[in-house]
Amino acid sequence: MSSIIPLHRVNVLTGIKSARVIEDAAQYANLIEKAKRPLLVLGPLLREWSLDGKLAIEYALEIAKGANIPICATADVKGKMMELETKPDSVYDAVEIVNHLKDPEWQGVRREGNHDLVIFLGIRSDLEEQCLSVLKHFAFKHLKTMTLDKYYFPHANYSLPNFKRERRWKEFLESLLDNLKKGG
Amino acid sequence: MAEVKEITRKLEEIHEKIKAEIPWEPVGPTPMPEIPDLRQWDMRLLKTYAPFYAPFCDLCCFCTYGKCDLSEGRRGACGIDIATQQARIILLACLMGCSAHAAHGGHILEFLIERHGPDKKIDLGTFIDVEAPNIRTVVGLKPETLGDLKTVIEYVYKEITHLLDSTHFGQEGSYLDYESKALHASMLDHVGMEVADIAQIVGFDFPTSVADTPLVDMGWASVDESKPVILLVGHNPATSTTVIDYLRENGLYDKVEIAGICCTALETTRYSDRAKIVGPLSRQLFYVRTGIADVIMTDEQCIRTDMPIEADKVESRVVACLDKAMYGLEEVSDREVDGIVRDMVEDKKHFAILDAKKAAEVAVKVAMEIAPHRRKQWIAEEEAVELAKKCTNCGMCERVCPNLFSIGDGITEVAKGNFDLIRQQFNLCIGCGKCEQECPNDVPIFKIMQVAASKETWKIRAGRGAIMDTEIRNVGAPITLGTIPGVLAFVGCSNYPDIDDVADMVYEFARRKYIVVLTGCAAMVAGMKKFEDGKTVYELFPPDFDAGGVVNIGSCVSNAHISGAAIKIANIFAALPLRANYEVMADYVLNRVGACGVAWGAMSQKAASIGTGFNRLGIPVLLGPHSAKYRRLFLSRKEEDDWRVMDARKREIVDSGEPSPEHLAYVCENKEKAMVTIPKLCIRKNDTPQGRSIKLNHYISLYKKYMGGGLPEDLHLYIRRDPDIPLVYKKEVRAHLQEIGWQPKEPVGLPTLIGTYPSKVPLDAVIH
Repeated sequence: MSSIIPLHRVNVLTGIKSARVIEDAAQYANLIEKAKRPLLVLGPLLREWSLDGKLAIEYALEIAKGANIPICATADVKGKMMELETKPDSVYDAVEIVNHLKDPEWQGVRREGNHDLVIFLGIRSDLEEQCLSVLKHFAFKHLKTMTLDKYYFPHANYSLPNFKRERRWKEFLESLLDNLKKGG
Repeated sequence: MAEVKEITRKLEEIHEKIKAEIPWEPVGPTPMPEIPDLRQWDMRLLKTYAPFYAPFCDLCCFCTYGKCDLSEGRRGACGIDIATQQARIILLACLMGCSAHAAHGGHILEFLIERHGPDKKIDLGTFIDVEAPNIRTVVGLKPETLGDLKTVIEYVYKEITHLLDSTHFGQEGSYLDYESKALHASMLDHVGMEVADIAQIVGFDFPTSVADTPLVDMGWASVDESKPVILLVGHNPATSTTVIDYLRENGLYDKVEIAGICCTALETTRYSDRAKIVGPLSRQLFYVRTGIADVIMTDEQCIRTDMPIEADKVESRVVACLDKAMYGLEEVSDREVDGIVRDMVEDKKHFAILDAKKAAEVAVKVAMEIAPHRRKQWIAEEEAVELAKKCTNCGMCERVCPNLFSIGDGITEVAKGNFDLIRQQFNLCIGCGKCEQECPNDVPIFKIMQVAASKETWKIRAGRGAIMDTEIRNVGAPITLGTIPGVLAFVGCSNYPDIDDVADMVYEFARRKYIVVLTGCAAMVAGMKKFEDGKTVYELFPPDFDAGGVVNIGSCVSNAHISGAAIKIANIFAALPLRANYEVMADYVLNRVGACGVAWGAMSQKAASIGTGFNRLGIPVLLGPHSAKYRRLFLSRKEEDDWRVMDARKREIVDSGEPSPEHLAYVCENKEKAMVTIPKLCIRKNDTPQGRSIKLNHYISLYKKYMGGGLPEDLHLYIRRDPDIPLVYKKEVRAHLQEIGWQPKEPVGLPTLIGTYPSKVPLDAVIH
């Protein structure tokens, strides 16, 4: 069990099993590459977050493209994606996609079977942690969860640490992208 | 045989309580329902709208067997699993909410029976004959006097006890049954709220049978700080009305300011339009810390539990007026007034005074005595800049903020003399004060925020209570046909992502000719933004329960008038009997009344029970993003789920293929998505082609406005035939439908769930 305290105290774990913290982008890339049917769930904070002038959503779209991961756009993210000339594979709100994901029989956004790795990024942290909690409790037999946000989420299976400096987060995302490209 | 006798005896008792011999309507199948009586209806609802659990905690720590880890399919030492534990917590939350309102109702009833006697007639005015739709529907009683309401509240108390019992160790073991109980508790909440507000309207002569209630002042700048200020916090108007009576009787009303926070403020303005509304719950701590209030009178619910400590910091005095919240204070209800006043003035003491008249006299005398000697001044910008310089922007404030923002960023800017960011952040602040508590440098954040607090005043319409029967007759047809696109109820607390959100939503939908009704903190914040010509939504839109109307119903307990209005549509417009006929009413509302609750800032347990009560009646509720922390939603899966209903005209089960309403309790991530989801949740199977095309017109246009263009992904599910397509989007939608291979489907003539599950209600009961 990790002793990391999440950035937002509302997400402090009251339980036993918490996310494995991974700072090495190569390990993250490896986990993503091993997944048969990963899914990237992108939330509306990606419209606001920017890293040295580059929007966080651009990193997300590059990761999706680099590793051929389908995207579920939540809330109003689709509009931003369309501006960036990328059509999401599916559009559901955060709780809707999670409601689908917890059913092992669901066929996934590409109708090829439910996803085995769900990667979250850009959802308000208390809601994202609650979504991860749903999957931790009700989908633990058929999928794993991962987060790409700049802070720690205890209910995920794999999470980044709390990055004190945005530079470190940016470096991680760029390294992840490089690793995925190498792998591809 | 013994069992049959027992049932007969019980029914006889119920019939006696509800005066069944008075034949205003035949007694329906479920008078004074107990836990099992509406269980089949609940199970049918839960089949389509399955509970979605987001555990906030992996453990159970309710008993000394624990803590028990319930993660990954584990069961606790008692056998409970994680889903059932969530449902149990939800039931507890709903019971807290229900009991808060029921106890409020019970107290106010005793207070008013003491004043007027039990035979005081219930008369809600010329335009309201169906005075108590919730009570009539659930209990089966037509209350004629305050004494009749006592029968009702005693029934609610009894059910609360049975429900609470089920949460004990070793009782209920099914999450579905816990949810059924939560739905039961929450239905009872609407009964308790109705008791409370009917009693208040009758006993305090609050407005009724009128739409055009006075516009009253809101905002701290509306409070004349040069006068003694009495601040009322909470929900129960026994205190505030007695203070106003005292001021009037003693010719002091123009010498003392009466201001309120939270629902007590709304209640007070129903009694006197000279009273001022400071604001919603989220402004409580901030305003208390300004020290403007000389005396703070607390009653019940949603009061800071550290009120005496906070009052001490600014030398305000506290009078705790109800037994629900006594803060460990000495109770002096039996002492003589002058001695109490002396102790409060000279020794700065706070007291609990449970005699409303004495509390009022003490509060007025203390406020008048101490006000001239107290310093009441808002901080100057220069002082704020100096105080802000202590901030190192370490980020601790952000970590504890329930709204997840960094006030440290704003404070740092203030230190540089820039107030723009903190002014924006003040709109995000939900007023808990945790940031200041956590600050390692003791930066007085709330004090600095005084420079950000708008000194604007706003107009809000005083709460008007029940919707009039005459209004229901006018709008019944357009609502059920869909030509009025929806009835939106903005309710609940002030845990908003942004305090402007509610006003923006109300403005958007009133402009689009939805009927907008509001209660509680939502009613206040809707008025705290000015639109064209510097007017609030209460000044811009008519106060009628009609297309484009914006109607302040009143306080939390006035929520019963919203569920009541939905019931009245079934009863008055559709002429379906309501007496002890809950399933028929709920089925009608679910399938034919395009209503949607919006509890955007829901925070409390009361909000949980209010919302869940709407759900049992078939009204979906949309919640703000933080509300996933309630742990449970009711969601469908639109493409996978079974949308079969009974077509009562054909008397056969048909597959509507249409997810309407799509969810019963739903969380949206941001305001933009809420703007798009609200019109969708107003779609009903009963819509005529004209009504449906109006609803879809709003759905599509709001989607284009807030989602960045295109058509909604699930639009095809809501188009039955070509006439459903809005004229203005005909070409675009037809092309889209052709592309995805859409096929027309037959609209359902008379949709109902009756006949699709085991129920005592015959199909004929829903045909009107």
